[in-house]
Amino acid sequence: MAVSTAGYAVVSDRRGQVAVARARRAAGRGLVTLARSVLIFVPVFLVATFATFALRAISGLSPAQIQLGESATPEAVARIEQEWGLDRPFLAQYWTWFENILHGDLGASWANGADIATLIGNGLSISLSVATAALIIGIVGGFALGALAALRRTTWIDRAITGFTTIISVTPPFVVGIVLVSIFAVGLGWFPSAGYVPASAGAWPWLSHVLLPALALSFDTVADVARQLRAGLIAAYQENYVIGAVVRGLSPRRIFFRHVLRNGTGPALAVLGLKFPMLIGSSVVTEWIFGLQGFGRFANDAAQAGDVPAVQGVLVISIVLVVTFNLIVNIILARVTPASQRGL
Amino acid sequence: MVRRILGLNAGRIAVGVLSVIILLAALGPVLAPHDPLETSPQTLAGPSWSHWLGTDYLGRDVFSRLLDGSRTSVLGALQVVLIALVVGVIPGILSVYLGRLFEWCTLRITDTLVALPFLVYAVAVTALLGNGIPQAMFVVGVLVSPLFYRVSRAATLAVARSQYVEAALIAGASVGLVVRRHVWGKVLPPITVALAYTIGTGFVVVSSLTFLGIGVQPPAPTWGGLLASALGYLAYQPWAPIAPAVMIMATVWGSNLLADAIRDVSGEAGRALLNSRRARAHRAGTVDNPEPLSVGGAAR
Repeated sequence: MAVSTAGYAVVSDRRGQVAVARARRAAGRGLVTLARSVLIFVPVFLVATFATFALRAISGLSPAQIQLGESATPEAVARIEQEWGLDRPFLAQYWTWFENILHGDLGASWANGADIATLIGNGLSISLSVATAALIIGIVGGFALGALAALRRTTWIDRAITGFTTIISVTPPFVVGIVLVSIFAVGLGWFPSAGYVPASAGAWPWLSHVLLPALALSFDTVADVARQLRAGLIAAYQENYVIGAVVRGLSPRRIFFRHVLRNGTGPALAVLGLKFPMLIGSSVVTEWIFGLQGFGRFANDAAQAGDVPAVQGVLVISIVLVVTFNLIVNIILARVTPASQRGL
Repeated sequence: MVRRILGLNAGRIAVGVLSVIILLAALGPVLAPHDPLETSPQTLAGPSWSHWLGTDYLGRDVFSRLLDGSRTSVLGALQVVLIALVVGVIPGILSVYLGRLFEWCTLRITDTLVALPFLVYAVAVTALLGNGIPQAMFVVGVLVSPLFYRVSRAATLAVARSQYVEAALIAGASVGLVVRRHVWGKVLPPITVALAYTIGTGFVVVSSLTFLGIGVQPPAPTWGGLLASALGYLAYQPWAPIAPAVMIMATVWGSNLLADAIRDVSGEAGRALLNSRRARAHRAGTVDNPEPLSVGGAAR
């Protein structure tokens, strides 16, 4: 009796040790993935910020043109450039600017001296709501269509889905946006055609303003995720372990969720990481169509006004967003399909 | 190659659509029934015999503007492709041969370029470096070049490890000779596929920029500009966005189709396709030999 309880204790203790060791290994793997991804993205960030900063020097624009107009005396121009620290050596300017970015300070706008980080922060909440909604629609829609097409492959459902994804993949977001506006906002009057209401004003008013732009942005993602998932799942279905599972008599549902889905999602997830820059880029156009005062609109306005620090701030923020999103995708990818780590 | 592409239905459609677009770009101003800039008192008129697609808010003929605007889009898309080709392919092939430092640097630079949202950059750079489609397309071309870099690098890596290249190197061939004789032929098909896809991307970017009014002077007609003005008068002419939108979609679809067709007829997949075709033709007792049509510059 005593012996057997001791035996149980030993067994459960060993089980606990195994579980702890496994968890530790998983955590270690996660950290290694994170470290590797960060190592890749640090040079990316350095090069990208440098290219961004060099834009001012290449463009030859100066705050004096915005503040004083064309007919400024050279002395006044020199005085203003000195105020903004533009007479210092290029690399010294870059270093100060870079240090400020690391502290979250994006500098002041040339046009009105306002703090750029605050300006971008105002628009970012709008753009991120739209982009997140678009991502959710893209992932849900893409996975549903892709999985359905793969499960019913070579039937009319598969062909209909493939045709649909082909059509929506060649439709630029702004065309989708115009079509949506003319049907649902102007034609049927179900949704407001422009503007934004913060989520604090209620869930439905917020959603009704976000849904159409998000839909317009999501089409491209839906198409790409669906196509990659379909190809990935069909490839996974032809693997020997699936045949083995069928032979062992496992249910189709279990085979799909345990064996095929996990191994077939890799390409779709990888594509998702590449889609995020597209989402940010397309937001410039969709926000214009839907009259949203977001990040993309701010980028457009600042660029057309020649407000270089504001444009640089926008570009830095978009780089940070893209890099962060890719880090997340890499970590998920490493969890789902460990083999993908070899590619890093 | 061209003949094989035209043997496929998808290839014929793609070449047809793209040749029509190129013809429009070349002959648009000649074919246009009206001066695209000429205003008239009949504003926002519906389609009629003299104005096939109606008139816009200044009374200008929409059909003529559509024809005239195709030139900007085609030239812009071609510029994106050419720049991406030069900036992407050459470092892509050389990265295999020029040592680890060069390889590491170019890989990091491509990682960076992929991470940049190119529409935001195109907007920023166009506004800062001077308002013009060429500047914008230069930036877009550089930002989409990683596709070409990766494609050509992957193809070169595959060739560089093959035995006949090793044999050539042992026999004393220089790197330049190996690239010209062996690598180029293998790298060309995947690059052509990427090229056709990029043409589609280029069209979307040009139309997006012109839609925002970036890179063009106001009276000049563009597809994106037509869409923007159609959007402003949606309540009067709800059908107005259809024509320019269909033009953009058809072009993008045509170039994607062309890319798929080239992929299907080149390399291993192409050989398999060709063999199965020949077998079928043999069984049917007829020799299937489609006459090569005259094709535009896009079908290479």
